[in-house]
Amino acid sequence: MFMDESLDVVGLQTSWKKTHPQAHDSKICQTNQVHTAEVETQAKFFSENGTQTDPHECLADPFLLDRDLSSDLPGLKDFLCRVEDMVIEELVKNAKSHAFDGFEVNWADQNQTVLCLYCLGYPDARKKGLQVTSVSWNCTGSVIACAFGRVDDGDWSTESSCVCTWNLDRRNLNPNQPDMVMDVATPVMCVSFHPKRPSLIAGGLYNGDLIIWDTSRTQDPVLAQTGMSPDAHREPVYEVKWVPVAHRGHLIVLSACSGGRVLLWSLDGVEGKLTLNSAYALVSQQLPQTTAFSKLQTKGGINIGVTSLTLSPWDPDTFLVGSEGGLVLKCTFSSQTVAAVPSDGESVTLHAPAQFSFSPRGGPIHSLHFSPFHRNLFVSVGTDGLAHIHSILQPRPLLALRVSDSYVFGVRWSPVRPLVFAAVTGQGLVQVFDLGHKSLRPVATIDQKTGGQPAYCLEFSPQQLLAVGSADGTVNIWQLSAELTEQGPRETAILEQLANEVAE
Amino acid sequence: MAEVEETLKRIQAHKGVIGTIVVNAEGIPIRTTLDSSTTVQYAGLLHQLTMKARSTVRDIDPQNDLTFLRIRSKKHEIMVAPDKEYLLIVIQNPSE
Repeated sequence: MFMDESLDVVGLQTSWKKTHPQAHDSKICQTNQVHTAEVETQAKFFSENGTQTDPHECLADPFLLDRDLSSDLPGLKDFLCRVEDMVIEELVKNAKSHAFDGFEVNWADQNQTVLCLYCLGYPDARKKGLQVTSVSWNCTGSVIACAFGRVDDGDWSTESSCVCTWNLDRRNLNPNQPDMVMDVATPVMCVSFHPKRPSLIAGGLYNGDLIIWDTSRTQDPVLAQTGMSPDAHREPVYEVKWVPVAHRGHLIVLSACSGGRVLLWSLDGVEGKLTLNSAYALVSQQLPQTTAFSKLQTKGGINIGVTSLTLSPWDPDTFLVGSEGGLVLKCTFSSQTVAAVPSDGESVTLHAPAQFSFSPRGGPIHSLHFSPFHRNLFVSVGTDGLAHIHSILQPRPLLALRVSDSYVFGVRWSPVRPLVFAAVTGQGLVQVFDLGHKSLRPVATIDQKTGGQPAYCLEFSPQQLLAVGSADGTVNIWQLSAELTEQGPRETAILEQLANEVAE
Repeated sequence: MAEVEETLKRIQAHKGVIGTIVVNAEGIPIRTTLDSSTTVQYAGLLHQLTMKARSTVRDIDPQNDLTFLRIRSKKHEIMVAPDKEYLLIVIQNPSE
């Protein structure tokens, strides 16, 4: 009944779909050619200007104009109108007047000569043949401390020596009998009184020890000592200085030795302990490459022995170091570079402080001193007999003065006259120079009559006395003549001019 | 007030003027161009000195009165213009 069948395919044409011929058209377009041109300009003259608002604290100044002055202060405007013309007329006349040129007044008796007030000595030290290595005045200027030791002995010395103090204001002063004698086991190389507390003395010894004495203690003046710890110096301590910034109530002492270490100690007065705060090591590899010293590149780092040091009174972060090899380096306390020396068991990491190197000299630098009147100037002396005046901004010295034909052991700027400094020589003479004079020769020479023995140290006191310590174990206190202690009118301006000269 | 400031600025701008201070009758500084510690020191000392100078002039001749006070020192010249209620102090460095 159902059978398979296949049928043809039936196809139907669509009625609605037609093939639309697509209309093609092609067109090209292009933008016009872009014209380019190049021109250069450069500003020939520039000027810069900046403004800034004052920080908020300054506005709290009680004398400022936040208040409406006319309502608070009646009559101020009228007063100023009345006096203004008169004051301006006087100011103008004054600026042009020559009425007071060369007019000088004598208030005090002018002493024209240099006097030796005292010649202090300690007979016991003289018997042992000890020399005065360092002197220091206390902050009031009445007490002088002298350190006895040896400078000419090349060997490791174990003879005992002492530090003596004399109070010059006492009526019955015996120049041969010191008020206090503090015995020490080894020669003392340097002493320094604290700048604010009149009884603290810091001393650096030949064996690397650092001792702090307190002269107000009757029992035992030794307040603190570094002793033989791994933190302490191993080489003679040539310079010890008090750093005037108080750190958490402790006092800070800086010591520098010939082993190339500069250490900052914090003194705890109550417990009598010295703890190492920070340490700096000077190695020849880490010196700044500003001079020809860079030729000396050896593999092993040579320790740069420090023979003199001075702190900047203007910038608490800077200090200058003079070395045994004649280098003068500008260093900073906040250096972050770690020193390239193997650690010797110290409790703090050693840093390399040197930032800038001045032109090297031909021998150890015995003394450096920053000028108390100008922030950039310092003077340096060494064994070549010259005193170089440097600006810390340039490597070459501004002035080189010949002090003597022998070694020069100490130099200090005068604390009252910006242009005067004094230097002590190996022949025992004190040469005083005044930069205001046109000639480069000393303006005064003090012959100490010590028989040609060298003078090793000098210090100015706050009362303008000069203490000079010599190799024969005596300390002479000199009073300088009036022209060396009274400031002239234009000295600061001349000093400023000197500092701004550019060395050729 | 702007005029007060203008006047003081004019005085301060003169050659060699280091500082200007205006002090009231009690010796208290009311306007200054120097730092506070120096101002207080100058104001106190010069107020007393001006009073002393004025009484000196009037003791010699009661019809006379102090008009101006100048103190010349090694380093500067201090000029004081006195008045009933105020004092104007100007410090000048004449050799500049």
